[in-house]
Order: sequence, then structure tokens, then C-alpha cells
Amino acid sequence: MQISDFLRGSPDGIDVKGPRVVCSFDVFGVTINLTETVIISWAIILAVTLLLLWLTSGMKTKNISKRQAVAEWIVQTVYGMVESSMGKRWRNFAPYIGALFTFSILGSLVSMLGLRSVTADFNAPLTWALITFVLIHGTNIRTHGIGGYLKGYVDPIPVMLPINILSEIATPVSMSLRHFGNVVSGMVITSLLYFALSAATKAVGVAFLTIGIPAVLSLYFDLFSGFMQAFVFVMLTMAYISNADGREPEA
Amino acid sequence: MNLDFLTIDVGTILFTLINTLLIFLAFKFILFKRVDAILAKRQEEVDATYTAADDALASANSDKEQYAKAMAGAKEEAAQIVSRAEKTAQREGDAILEQARTEAQAVREKATLDTEREKVQARTALQGEITNLAMELAEKIMEKEIDKTDHARLIDDFLEEIDSSEDGES
Repeated sequence: MQISDFLRGSPDGIDVKGPRVVCSFDVFGVTINLTETVIISWAIILAVTLLLLWLTSGMKTKNISKRQAVAEWIVQTVYGMVESSMGKRWRNFAPYIGALFTFSILGSLVSMLGLRSVTADFNAPLTWALITFVLIHGTNIRTHGIGGYLKGYVDPIPVMLPINILSEIATPVSMSLRHFGNVVSGMVITSLLYFALSAATKAVGVAFLTIGIPAVLSLYFDLFSGFMQAFVFVMLTMAYISNADGREPEA
Repeated sequence: MNLDFLTIDVGTILFTLINTLLIFLAFKFILFKRVDAILAKRQEEVDATYTAADDALASANSDKEQYAKAMAGAKEEAAQIVSRAEKTAQREGDAILEQARTEAQAVREKATLDTEREKVQARTALQGEITNLAMELAEKIMEKEIDKTDHARLIDDFLEEIDSSEDGES
């Protein structure tokens, strides 16, 4: 679709597609696709790395610059978040939470630049949910030992075993689908809205409908929803891992 | 070519895993490492400042103590000086007084001596007068020349008698 299509009304209706495959190659018989999602992720990583380098360059202890204040604020905020929901013991976990939050929120917000959201590809939130899944079980085993970990599945009675297994599997599935669903539904609704508005424009013959209204909705679906889902995702990650730790978070 | 709308793609998962790791490393080794370092350094500086302030306070307190001690010493010294001065003044005053008294005594003695001498002179003069007067008187009464020297001796004897009797009375 092009801008002119929006103004005239889309000629070929609505088509919501998955991410475009840039190239694909076979590795040991497995087809590896290099998709739009990955390319945009690289751009995000590059931008974030440059931004962080810029923010943290020329740091001083006194008379700090505004960008250093921003860098310190980010670090302190993430530390605060991690410590309040996981305890001081998990302080070292803060960089991962910061990275995950940033990747998720920027992955959603690239849609505002007209790119396809990274998080609108189910594989991205699925990967993060799988990382969380591994961390949950790793933490559980580390704290309770392999015996205590396995015993957890037959708690409080052995009959609960299938339900417990299901509940463990449900965690990453629900996390990834929630994130993906929210972002992609915003994308679908925005596409529908563009279609409807451009159809209305075609009927009325004036282009004013496609200006303004999408911006307001984009504010909700891209900015608010993107922030919200990133926040929910990292909060759940911290809550699950902290829960798997089982120990009381120390003050 | 596009992937299906909802599909699980191994390649994307692997790439996303690597990408997540990369962004994590960027956060850990750029943002957090650097900011942590600067925060630690600042904490160090704050601690150092506090230590310096404590030291300064302690030194100020010891100075104050020394000053108070010095002040107390000075007061004592001042009191000593004053008392010494008082003693000196007392002594000098006494000496002056003594000297004055001595001088006054001398003056008085001298005056007494002078008076005595004058008294003696006056008496001698008076004796002479009286002698002459008595002789003239006697000449006029007896109407005749008498031996002046005999009479003068007689009168002198008489006066001496009076004198001695006066001395005996006084």
C-alpha cells in the first residue's frame, strides 16, 4: 500500500501478512529464514548501542550533563524495579530486565516509523518467553535442588501432576501470546481503520479523515499498548523468577 | 515472500535469541557497567568528603580546646601580673611614705634645733640687754660710778641662777 492508496481507498482490500522473508538458507536441512523482524531488530540494537554509548560518554561525578542524568535515571529505575519485585539478591538481573524492556518497547514502537513491529512477529515474544521459561526452571532447580524441583510437580497431591505440568507450559505460552496478540491486534485494527477511512475518503472525496484520527488511535495502539505490554512482560518475568526462587526477598 | 501471520520459525527464534543477547550485553557492558562505576566513584568521593569534614571538625575542636586552655592560662597570668603590680606598688608606696616620714622627721628636728638655737641667741641677747639695763638703772639709782665689770659679773651670776632655777622647774 502507498499513501495514494490511502487517499483513494485501498484497491485490493485488506491483507494482514506475516513478516517478509529477506532471504533463507539451509543449515543441516533446516530452513533458516532471515526475516524483516530480524533486520529491524538489528537496526534497533545498533540504535540502542549507539544511544547508550552516547548517554554514557564523558561521565563525571560532579556537574553531570543532562544525558548522564538520563543514563543514571535509567539505571536507578531499573535497579529499583528489580529490587522491589525480586529483592536485592537479584540486583544483577537488572541489565537483562532493562534490555528486555527496551527491546520489547522499541520493537513495538518501530511501527510508528512505518516499519513492521518486531513484536508483531510471534517468534520474538516467544523467544523471550522461552528465555523466561528456562530462567524460571533453572532458578527453581538451583534453589530447591533437582529432587525438590521434581517434587514440586506432585504438590500437594500426585494427582496434580498433569495440571502442574500444564500450568508450567502455559506460562510461556500465555506470556508470548499476550504480547503478540496485543501488538498484532493493534496492527490489524490500524489496518482496518486505514481501510475504512480511505474508503470513507473515497466516498466523500475529501482527504481529511485519514489525517488526525489514525494519529490518535496510534497513540493508544502503538505508544500506550507498546509500553504496557513491555512493562507487563518484564514484570511477569521478574514475578515468575522471583516466585521460583522461593526464598523471601530480603529487604 | 512472507511468513504466515502466526507461525513458529526456528530461524527467527535463533536470531531473536542472539539479538536479545546482544542488546543484553550492550546494556550490561555499556550502560550498567559505566553508570555503576560512576556511582561507585561518586560514593567514594562523598565518603572522602565526609571523612575530610569529620577531620576538619575534630581539628577545629582541638583548636578550640587549645584556645580555651590558652585563654585560661592567660587569665591566670594576667591575675599574677596584676597581683605582682599591686605588691610592687604597695612596696614602693610604703618606701615613699617611709622616706617622706624620715624627711619630715629630719625637717622637724632641724626646726627644733633652729628654734633652740634662736632661743639661746635670744636669751643671750636678752641677758646682755638686761645687764646693760640693770647697770644703767643701778647707776641712776646710786648716782655714782661703779665698777662696770663687777656689776656685770654680779648680774650674770644672778641671771644664771634664774636660768638654772627655770631649768629645774621645766
